[in-house]
Amino acid sequence: MANPSLTFDRPQRWDAAFDPEMKEAAIERLLATAPFSRMKVDNFPARLPLRDILKNDTRIHTYRRGELVMREGDYGTSAFLVLSGTVRVVLGPSLPASMLGRRLFFRKNIFKAVAQLWAYHREPESFSVRELQKDLSATAGDNQGKETRVFLQDVPRILDKHKTAVIEGGEFFGEIAALSRMPRTASVFAESEEAELLEIRWQGLRDLMKYDAALRLHIDQIYRERALAVALREIPIFKNLSVETLGKVMARTEFGTYGDYDWSGEYKRLLQTEGMRRQEPAIAEEGDYPNGVILIKAGFGRLSQKFGNGHRTLNYIGAGQIYGLQEIAHNWRKPEAPVSMQYTLRVMGYTHVIKIPTDVMEGLVLPEVAKSLLPPLVTPPAEDRVATSAEGDVALKIGADMLEFLTENRFFNGTATMMIDLDRCTRCDDCVRACAAAHDGNPRFLRHGPISGKLMVANACMHCVDPVCMIGCPTGAIHRDSFGGQVVINPSTCIGCKACFNNCPYEAIRMVEIRDERGDIVLDTETKPILKATKCDLCVEQITGPACAHACPHGAMARVNMNDLDMFSDWLKR
Amino acid sequence: MRFSQQRGFGLTVLIILSVEIVLLHWFYAGSMTHLAYLTGWGLLSVILLLALYNGRKKVPFFPLLSSEEWLQFHIYAGLLTGVIFAVHISYRIPTGWFQGILAALYLLVMASGFFGLFISRSIPKRLTTRGGEVLFERIPAVRRQLQEQAEKLALESVGQSRSATIAEFYLRELKPFFEGAQNCTSHWSENASPVNHILTKISDVHRYLDEQERATLEKIAALVRQKDGLDYHYAQQMLLKLWLFVHIPLTYSLLVFTVVHVTLVFAFSGGAK
Repeated sequence: MANPSLTFDRPQRWDAAFDPEMKEAAIERLLATAPFSRMKVDNFPARLPLRDILKNDTRIHTYRRGELVMREGDYGTSAFLVLSGTVRVVLGPSLPASMLGRRLFFRKNIFKAVAQLWAYHREPESFSVRELQKDLSATAGDNQGKETRVFLQDVPRILDKHKTAVIEGGEFFGEIAALSRMPRTASVFAESEEAELLEIRWQGLRDLMKYDAALRLHIDQIYRERALAVALREIPIFKNLSVETLGKVMARTEFGTYGDYDWSGEYKRLLQTEGMRRQEPAIAEEGDYPNGVILIKAGFGRLSQKFGNGHRTLNYIGAGQIYGLQEIAHNWRKPEAPVSMQYTLRVMGYTHVIKIPTDVMEGLVLPEVAKSLLPPLVTPPAEDRVATSAEGDVALKIGADMLEFLTENRFFNGTATMMIDLDRCTRCDDCVRACAAAHDGNPRFLRHGPISGKLMVANACMHCVDPVCMIGCPTGAIHRDSFGGQVVINPSTCIGCKACFNNCPYEAIRMVEIRDERGDIVLDTETKPILKATKCDLCVEQITGPACAHACPHGAMARVNMNDLDMFSDWLKR
Repeated sequence: MRFSQQRGFGLTVLIILSVEIVLLHWFYAGSMTHLAYLTGWGLLSVILLLALYNGRKKVPFFPLLSSEEWLQFHIYAGLLTGVIFAVHISYRIPTGWFQGILAALYLLVMASGFFGLFISRSIPKRLTTRGGEVLFERIPAVRRQLQEQAEKLALESVGQSRSATIAEFYLRELKPFFEGAQNCTSHWSENASPVNHILTKISDVHRYLDEQERATLEKIAALVRQKDGLDYHYAQQMLLKLWLFVHIPLTYSLLVFTVVHVTLVFAFSGGAK
């Protein structure tokens, strides 16, 4: 048997504590503080004691007046509990982008487009002294090589101009975004001179909720109040339910998180050693009794069906899509011929779901739904053929091999995936030159990447639905553009920490050495070059849209939204 | 729009315009004294538009239609110039030496364009079928890696088997093959005999080797196949880049000669009527 080409110690939970310097005294203090003081230690299993969760999955942070705790739009991995002092949440209007370390991108007009001919620097990624000083001011003072702190200026003015609410000791915030991996819905900053917060990372919060019913009920209640109604109303079959019925449905709704929140880093390593399928826990299996409709709220799931001795991927489903409705609706209409789940739903990376139990669907939802909104009856596939249902059609449209390729590599995450048809591409690199011409001489992608048949997925930012690169950016430099939703980097506030570079599973971000206006590489006080993260910004400022696709003479390249496989299929079959 | 629809649309427009030009020329040939001026200026205008495509590529951020649309125009307008050129010279072969050079330049530009179109449509498919996709700029580095691996295997075989058969064979037969890009013309014509020749020589050496050496030589043979694939990519990608170095200078030469031609025509305008 061949030796594996690469071996490594499988990462263990708590190999790296959230705060390696968490003191015993601080843990004792937390155990004496609500809600932890009310938790029953015996409810926690021996392998996951409450004390160890607090020791490894939490950290205490003291924020000073005006300091930003979290920004609206950021993807956070943790929730906060106020231990002492107060913080304020900005309810509206949102804080301006400049206050949050972001940059507003504007489309260039025709004159600015023409001016690019002479306005660009001779060397790529050159910055003026003014821009560099702005960088320094964004990171100076409190950035002591560990944490970057951003302070809001003129807090009284913010309080005057924005509607805010106080969050006091003992209250949680940020838990919904952390658990469901959705962007933060509001910015929060410290109001008191000192606000002491307990930051609990996602895994810790999940386990605390799992073994403490009171906390779970509390967080679930917050979730139900703030987010559930909106999420359900987005689904056609729940859209026209009466308020009373919807309330009853919400009261019985269950929540679940599956997979690994930090799948991106792990994914890179696993790709080198073993198949991904083993890392994908099943949410529901083919042949199971349909015990509830599952709505994907965040992340992705893989739909597969038994085929021979393995499983064949039929489709992947993302946020807003549902699983199990067809079977439950079938059984409700034809109780004399019930069917089991027709497909297996597996977690891909990380998935947050909402589950509505079958009895709720049958008793409350389905009787109120118009027949036209119900899915067709299930027609189980014959033994010797694969499914021909709506889900199966995807594989028929783009080919089973292509679907496996896209799923294995998780390219379904992209909303603007750079696809190259190698049967048309003459390798002329006009796309690369166009990208460089539109970005100060620095091409923001590599015309290279995984290949399946005639299709190459280039190493270019895909502007993911689930942008893991945004997790952990200390300054908020990488963010979604408020206009088009593209994932962009503000070079002025990027401190070159490589968080996004390390997080991106698709190798779409590059760290580049920046230069001053004379073209010299800018060095720090230790004579190390200063780095900035760069990536495709989908030419958010160019009037032509993405310069790469605009410059391809042979129609070999397209930026494809992988959540619209019809569009992808049309492009493949041109 | 599908490629087939794109092609259908382009060809339809081309045929309609070509027929119109030929008919109009036939209809007015006897009555219009300055018809050669009209077709000449028309031809020059279309050629100038075609030549602008290279300039358009330098400013990809201008909202001047996509490069794909420009290329489609370039192909079909280029074909249309053939018709305009034919009516301009009244379907006769130019007799003067200057006119002959001008016509020859035009035909060379046209031919190089056809050649470019042909290879732009055929080589990508060949490269995809062959596999082993590699960036052209990375080829020398990959080649060096393969060479180093082959040399290492050849050297190690001496220590392992106390025999220099493989090392000597490598020096004699394989070193030149690994040192640079090889067999470009064979790759262009899809002729695999050079690499088959090397692989046959490798098979012939087998009879002088023990089992361990044979395993080593098999690894070297695998590297030979990889190197051949790399050479294939190098040859084909180089051809895709090189043809433009013929097409574009010829176009500029054609433009220069055309300017001289226009000047001469107006200087001796009596001759053009």
